[in-house]
Amino acid sequence: MSAGDLFLQQVINGLTIGSVYALIALGYTMVYGIIQLINFAHGEVFMVGAYLGLAAILGFGVSHSAAGSVALLLVVLALAAGGCSFLGLMIERVAYRPLRRAPKLSVLITAIGVSFFLQNAVMLSFGPLDRYIPPILPVVRWGNGSVGVTLMQVIIFAVSVSLMVGLQLVIYATPMGRAMRATAQDPLAARLMGISVDKVIAVTFAIGSALAGVGGVLFGLYYSTINFHDGYLTGLKAFTAAVLGGIGNIPGAMVGGLVLGLLEGLSAGYFSTQWKNVVTFLILVLVLLFRPRGLLGERVAERV
Amino acid sequence: MIRKSRGFLLVGFVLSAFFLAGGCGKREPAVKIGFAGPLTGDQAAQGLDMLHGAELAVEEANAAGPILPGYKVELAAMDDSRSPAQAVTVAKKLAADPDVLAVVGHLNSSCTKPASAVYHEAKMLHINPVSSNPEISRQGFENFYRVCSTDDLQGPAGEQFAMQRLGAKRVFVIDDMTTYGRGLSNEFVKAAKAGGVQVLGQEGITQGEKDFSPLLTKIKSLAPDLIYFAGMYPEGALLMRQRMELNIPAKFMGGDGLFEPTLIQLATAQAADGVYITTLGGDIHQVPSAAGFVRSYEAKYGHMGAYAAYSYEATRIAIEAIRRAGAKDRQAVLAAMKGIKQYPGILGVHSFDARGDTTIRTIGIYTVRDGKFQFLESTN
Repeated sequence: MSAGDLFLQQVINGLTIGSVYALIALGYTMVYGIIQLINFAHGEVFMVGAYLGLAAILGFGVSHSAAGSVALLLVVLALAAGGCSFLGLMIERVAYRPLRRAPKLSVLITAIGVSFFLQNAVMLSFGPLDRYIPPILPVVRWGNGSVGVTLMQVIIFAVSVSLMVGLQLVIYATPMGRAMRATAQDPLAARLMGISVDKVIAVTFAIGSALAGVGGVLFGLYYSTINFHDGYLTGLKAFTAAVLGGIGNIPGAMVGGLVLGLLEGLSAGYFSTQWKNVVTFLILVLVLLFRPRGLLGERVAERV
Repeated sequence: MIRKSRGFLLVGFVLSAFFLAGGCGKREPAVKIGFAGPLTGDQAAQGLDMLHGAELAVEEANAAGPILPGYKVELAAMDDSRSPAQAVTVAKKLAADPDVLAVVGHLNSSCTKPASAVYHEAKMLHINPVSSNPEISRQGFENFYRVCSTDDLQGPAGEQFAMQRLGAKRVFVIDDMTTYGRGLSNEFVKAAKAGGVQVLGQEGITQGEKDFSPLLTKIKSLAPDLIYFAGMYPEGALLMRQRMELNIPAKFMGGDGLFEPTLIQLATAQAADGVYITTLGGDIHQVPSAAGFVRSYEAKYGHMGAYAAYSYEATRIAIEAIRRAGAKDRQAVLAAMKGIKQYPGILGVHSFDARGDTTIRTIGIYTVRDGKFQFLESTN
């Protein structure tokens, strides 16, 4: 295995996990952009998405034809996205909206409470053990003996990138997107312009949670095992990605996710795995020292 | 003001409800055997397996007649979620309960080690079923006993098998950086270096992580002929799967933390096929003295994992010590335990050395074939 092959394989590894981080990071960054809340329950929404995917796969059963497999994948992704956006709406309605005028810290603590609630609810309903997700797609690997890419990696990358492009279209080319941008800039002014701020916030939660749900299914299918506290570590990484890219900035979350995945892959590959998080977070600190608002900076205007 | 007093009233009601619930219903006087292990979280499959073994032992002992005249023996089960901090918390809870006379517990060496200090301070009998780190019994705690072999035997046994049977010359060693994992990987590396096997690297991974492909890609470029993993089955399963997806030809071997049927399910039979696993004892299904246990366990709980037999054994020995002590007294139980020699258990005949380790020092070697563990051989 040549040095070039090694590098290429590490880049493929990094981009795969990085695109999952990016999908989840979008939810953190969208919510932060609009209501300046770090939604710590978001990692749990991602985990619920993985479990919804598992439930759907167990419910439908694995298909053996190619068309059936693709249809199953799409149905499972749609169900998880739908279920998670409903969950996101509920969390916003029940836990955050009543605290709209409360101090920021109260909402943050509530978010942590919601996170514990979801973890334990999933543990009680699906059991405390690791759950195995049966593969719904055949294991296909393209490449030679040393470098290769699997079907699942291609799907993860393709689904993530197309969702991110779709999200950009929603934000920059629809009336709802314009309302979201307006609310992010100044909620009061947006309300004076006749925008229903509560509705915009609800839609933001729904979209962010749907993306996390899709991320959860892809993550579950890729690693084939899920556990009720998988949301914690992955959520933390995705949050880091959002900060790295510039929290509140949507292209920043995508860039941050991919960069974080690459950093992890390369530092584990070229230094050592046990130093992976040290190297990754050291680079995060350095980036924030020189670019305090993240790689792409926060585009939202500072309020005076 | 009104709202505040209403709040107080509510608290008062709740509290009195608790007191009432605690007060009514007279209970039979009991002595307890503490049990601690991971009952939730990613290693709960092994923890629950251990819990079932302990439950079965207590149930059988109670059915056979009173252990202490006038008392019923109960199991006080605690969840340490494989976290050392949580392990100390539950150890303190068990130590503070005057009904608890002995503790069977902790799966992970990283939990057993700090918890053992708590039991030592409480002067309470502590029998460990499966934590194999050798350092635990070298702390000089006279209340500590252990019914399994240790990693200073497991590491070299794995290395011998890898070198002689698998012809391994270049190995890469991974561990999970826990007391157990790092300890076992160090023993393996020590034996490998002494045996002239080239160690290409020794690296740690973090428990709970899922993506090991960067590490495995690096290992692939070094082209070892064996990957040795000292850690638990959730990470082991992912390593096996990702090894298959990256098309790495090196053989795969691991320690007893992988010896759990769930491993094969999580890894898939295809990825687990042909991996080698060392265990802390021989094949339980071949020991005649264990046949009755295996039958009643499988009738009650279904399929048996690897650790149930050890916690069953440890619990039975704890019960025997309580029976011999003849009194609800921790000191007397400890003194009675010192007198237990040549104990005929299901794993063999146990005596305990000065450190409290069992004299049964067998290491078993298994492989996976057609989605099942298959026993190959054992030392001694």
